[in-house]
Amino acid sequence: MIRIYRRFWQINWAEQWQYRANLLMYLAYWVVSPVVYLAVWSAVANAQGNVQGLTANDFVTYYMTLLIVDVLTSDITLHILAYKIQDGTLSGELLRPVHPILTGTLVNNLAFKALTFAALIPIWIVIYLLMRPDFSEVTAQSVLLTAPAILLGFGISFFMNSTLTSIAFWTTRVYGINEFFYVLSVLFSGQFVPLTLMPPVIQQIAQFLPFQLTRYFPTMLVLNRLTPEQVVQNYALAVFWLIALGVIFFIVWRAGVKRFSAVGA
Amino acid sequence: MSGAVNVEVLSKTYRVPEREAGFSAAARSFFRRKYRDVDAVKEVSFAIGRGEIVGFLGPNGAGKTTTLKMLSGLLHPTGGRADVLGFTPWDRKPEFLRSITLVMGQRNRLSWDIPAADSFLLNQAIYRIDDAQYKRTLAELDELLELAPIIKKPVRNLSLGERMKCELAAALLHGPQVLFLDEPTIGLDITAQARIRSFLREYNRRTGATILLTSHYMADVTALCERIIMIHHGQLKYDGGITDLSRRIAPVKLIGVALRDGAEADLTRYGELSAEENENGRRMIQVPAEDVASVTARLLSELPVQDLNIEDVPIEAVIEKAFNEGEPAQAEARPRAEARQETGA
Repeated sequence: MIRIYRRFWQINWAEQWQYRANLLMYLAYWVVSPVVYLAVWSAVANAQGNVQGLTANDFVTYYMTLLIVDVLTSDITLHILAYKIQDGTLSGELLRPVHPILTGTLVNNLAFKALTFAALIPIWIVIYLLMRPDFSEVTAQSVLLTAPAILLGFGISFFMNSTLTSIAFWTTRVYGINEFFYVLSVLFSGQFVPLTLMPPVIQQIAQFLPFQLTRYFPTMLVLNRLTPEQVVQNYALAVFWLIALGVIFFIVWRAGVKRFSAVGA
Repeated sequence: MSGAVNVEVLSKTYRVPEREAGFSAAARSFFRRKYRDVDAVKEVSFAIGRGEIVGFLGPNGAGKTTTLKMLSGLLHPTGGRADVLGFTPWDRKPEFLRSITLVMGQRNRLSWDIPAADSFLLNQAIYRIDDAQYKRTLAELDELLELAPIIKKPVRNLSLGERMKCELAAALLHGPQVLFLDEPTIGLDITAQARIRSFLREYNRRTGATILLTSHYMADVTALCERIIMIHHGQLKYDGGITDLSRRIAPVKLIGVALRDGAEADLTRYGELSAEENENGRRMIQVPAEDVASVTARLLSELPVQDLNIEDVPIEAVIEKAFNEGEPAQAEARPRAEARQETGA
């Protein structure tokens, strides 16, 4: 199995380099909104002294951490696979005696992640030099404690998006459904503003949904801004959602493959 | 089970949305979609023995590709059963997928942006082919298909023929026992077609693999297959030998006659004048097979014949006739399929 993943990695890594320009577009998309939020909120906090207890530095460190977490936990399965289901080219992958999503698509995600992460580093350093934020709240311990949360966060994104992608077996409108999910994600993941600034109702709903586990939880964990109880609760929730979404994905995928009409291929 | 492929009353019905053209129809269909059931494959039964090469024929939309997709586990049927090497294809067991291959057109198994050699290595890992076996198979495929000059170029830079060679190699690296080939020579020039054909014949001879292939090029079928299975509108129309088909569908021969310069004669007295008249200065007369000798004798004695030859009706014409006739050959085909399976032919 390791050999299969190694070969998939070689191919996907080589392929990602073919699409360097495309990759930079994605990265720009990824970087622009957190940087805008960062600028706006830190300006507001500077003017007012703080926003609900969050200082300008709190906002800068939050969004700068979020930039990294976002690249590490996000998932592009929909873009890799949905069109293949719709135009029938998935056939070639379904003929192989390995699961298309758990092998090729997963590795494609990781290769894309590795390359975007590498491209993000210089951008991140430039922002750091411009803003000179105080990252003293981050410790080696908090980084170590966050590593599993990043893995869980990526697993949750991966299964959530893979399930969403599998809807393409039923409808060609899967990109519209994805937009709807994106809105939910922006609202509940802490991507827009730190969840503590959201209305209490949103905060209460958000804490039980999987979205915040992919962005807000790892970000706050590495910044040491969670109580031990919150850490334990979020880890338990993350494990629960990973398993639940994994099971849902396998059921939906299996039913989808049964419906697959392999058009045009 | 001795057979490689066994299909019993296999059916596939697609539910297809449909609407009239125009703006108001589009608006109506937004709220209320209409569907129509299309029987792509209707209760088809046949059996193929190990090592056979069978041509799977039918006009566009006959259900050939749908059948191949069901047999390779890509599609779930609406009804019926199929067994390929002892597996139910749509269970999609890894052992099953490792034993078969499906080639459809020129896009399937190769990554577009990287050289085919990299995709081959991926297949080696996926199909768990050990290094020695991999090298041996690749050398064999290279010998038959002359791959060496092309497998290091990115696939997107290959010509159609080169890509097809690489697709075939990628599809065969794991040494499948059953090959489903959907138009393996489509879009290729005559030389490349001939090369693929001789490759398939040789591959079948060397490995004893079973091949079920569709093609619109009759040359593929006549060169490779002794047996053909014909479907039309999703239903089995014929299952048997190519020569039997000619005998049954078109039990006639063509007599080509060239008369001496300036000679005129009413050839319709001897038989039906076929469409190919005047080809190479000859008039083609279609006569019942059993009358060939007597008609030939009459022609020679009654007319100033300069040259004369006797031909079979081209297989294309026979098959076209079979498609157009719409006779139910299923009753005839079934016992034959079963007989083949019993003998493991």
